Amino acid sequence: MRLAWSLLSCCAAVTLSAQTTYTPPALPKPTGFRVFIVPDMEGMGSAVDIREVIAGTEGEAYKNLTSDDYWHTFRGLLTREVNAVIAGARLAGAGSFVVNEGHGGNLFANVLPWDLDTAAILIRGFPKPLVMITGIDSSVGTLIFTGAHANAGSPGVLAHNFAFDQFTVNGKTLNEVGINALIAGELGIAVSMVSGDDAEIAETRDMLGNGFVGVVTKYAVGRMAAITFSPTRVRRMLHDSAAQAVRRAMRHEFKPLVLDRPYQVEFALRRSYPVRVVAGVDSLAWPGLQKTGERSYHLTTDSARQLGLLLDAIERVVLH
Amino acid sequence: MKRVLLVLALAATPVAAAIAQERDTTPPEAYFGVTEFHLARIKLERLMQPGGFTVYIIADMEGLAAVVNNSVEMRPSYRGGTPEHERFRQELTDEVNAAIAGARLAGATQFVVNEGHGGTLFRNVLVEQLDPAAILIRGYPKPNVMETGLNPQVDAMFIIGAHANAGTPGIISHNFAFDSFTVNGKPLNEAGIAAFVGGEMGVPLALAAGDNVLTAETREMVGPLETVTVKLAESRSAAAVFSPATVRGWIRQAAGRAVRRVRAGAIKPLVFERPYHVRLCLRGSYEAWVPEEVARLPGLTREGDSRCLTTESQSAEDVVNVLNKIEWIVLKP
Repeated sequence: MRLAWSLLSCCAAVTLSAQTTYTPPALPKPTGFRVFIVPDMEGMGSAVDIREVIAGTEGEAYKNLTSDDYWHTFRGLLTREVNAVIAGARLAGAGSFVVNEGHGGNLFANVLPWDLDTAAILIRGFPKPLVMITGIDSSVGTLIFTGAHANAGSPGVLAHNFAFDQFTVNGKTLNEVGINALIAGELGIAVSMVSGDDAEIAETRDMLGNGFVGVVTKYAVGRMAAITFSPTRVRRMLHDSAAQAVRRAMRHEFKPLVLDRPYQVEFALRRSYPVRVVAGVDSLAWPGLQKTGERSYHLTTDSARQLGLLLDAIERVVLH
Repeated sequence: MKRVLLVLALAATPVAAAIAQERDTTPPEAYFGVTEFHLARIKLERLMQPGGFTVYIIADMEGLAAVVNNSVEMRPSYRGGTPEHERFRQELTDEVNAAIAGARLAGATQFVVNEGHGGTLFRNVLVEQLDPAAILIRGYPKPNVMETGLNPQVDAMFIIGAHANAGTPGIISHNFAFDSFTVNGKPLNEAGIAAFVGGEMGVPLALAAGDNVLTAETREMVGPLETVTVKLAESRSAAAVFSPATVRGWIRQAAGRAVRRVRAGAIKPLVFERPYHVRLCLRGSYEAWVPEEVARLPGLTREGDSRCLTTESQSAEDVVNVLNKIEWIVLKP
């Protein structure tokens, strides 16, 4: 189960060819204020169960973790949530929209391309560099996370954090939004809005400390249970909040997440993982990565982007 | 994968017998971080608008119009059911919407729907088709399953799709993990247990919809309330069923009457004398380890070597919390 959850936010078991030197082209220049949206699924309105966010196509281990009817319903809801965010952002004057699939269900192909707002560029599929934040560059005006979930160990719906039980930078705990916010922060890009359950919003507020617009889509009463609202109500909240977030982002009201360099990174692989995973991470021989315990590591790095690449490498180990 | 199995096992409705495998007695909190029922209640209370008239609807499925077959109609394909189940999810949503519509016409202003059927891990209502004004509590495990978040701000409780008590000839009759459950000697079915919890908070059970056995026994247990008999049981898996469209009309009308009668003080909360003397007998179909395991829960006293246990409590909510823990033990692999 927990192994499955690692997939939700990150990579899946796909054989990767050796890293080539191919550099993807930059996205087309924005025609207006560019909003970069990262939709995940666990924190969407209504979603509570693993079967609602897994397609069953991610590999053997996930085959029985789905029910088709539920996942199909929820990818439709996901698409409409993203559209609501885009509509709100447009109302506030945004002119360019990039949607980067942040959820590993169906190998990062959950949003329905035909139903997505036609102005949006959609980044979908796997593998993609810097998974949850692929395609980010200095053309981005503001960063929005939707459907985000709480950190591993938090009392939130389907809470997890990549492959980790614990992840800190300079002693500061980061969840998935936090890690990606740090990578974006290096480019001077700030998070202006996050939607997710009450646990996710509360912890991310503390983490980012920049007063982003938070949308509580549901209130967790268990890891797979929540007090939820009508999808129409959630979409209205997302729409109105996105408009507010973009207006404020245009006035530079949100600080990017910036931490002192070099980053002192500490993380612990999940206790639930087999020894194979630990051995695999050891064998990466990642420059600067030191082992500090049975499954805990330390890394000193000057680049959050490099850190992002390490996370990718770890997830590939986990899911092989 | 162990956790996957755990969840799959949880998917079993209370009707399913426990599967005896290697047992794991870790409480649900350790797996899922289940919120304490107090906290869940606080979360819901904070979301509710004060004033107005709030209806809390427990959405079960066995007592929906036309339902007769547990394995075919009450479970999704991935749990051994059939696509027929999807049609009954629609019926569930339609009947809940009918109850909301009727209550609204009679002046109710706020609606909380709590998933009460475990067939799909308490995810049966079609979220996009539910009345958009409603708050929906879904998923499992959740605290005090059928009464999650129930609080004194609620003005009336409804139960839709309710089924008759264990041991009765009603359609898919059962009662959580029990062959019998009594408070101060009075037998209660699942609707009755909801009325017991609500009653302590001053919240009456005002409407119950289900088969003829359910409606008759619930009137007997909780006193005057609105009932809708949606079908006449021929056996535990056969019934003379009325048209679902007609049934929804009845539910709409009964919901309105229920709200008006609660306002007029004609439907009262179910109140028992304290302390509550609770006696429960676990299902005879369970293996011997079940009563042993249940007896280890704090506050429960086993009657000799029998499958019956007793407890004394000042709080109905606490009793249901114990009941919730029993469910977990029984459904766990």
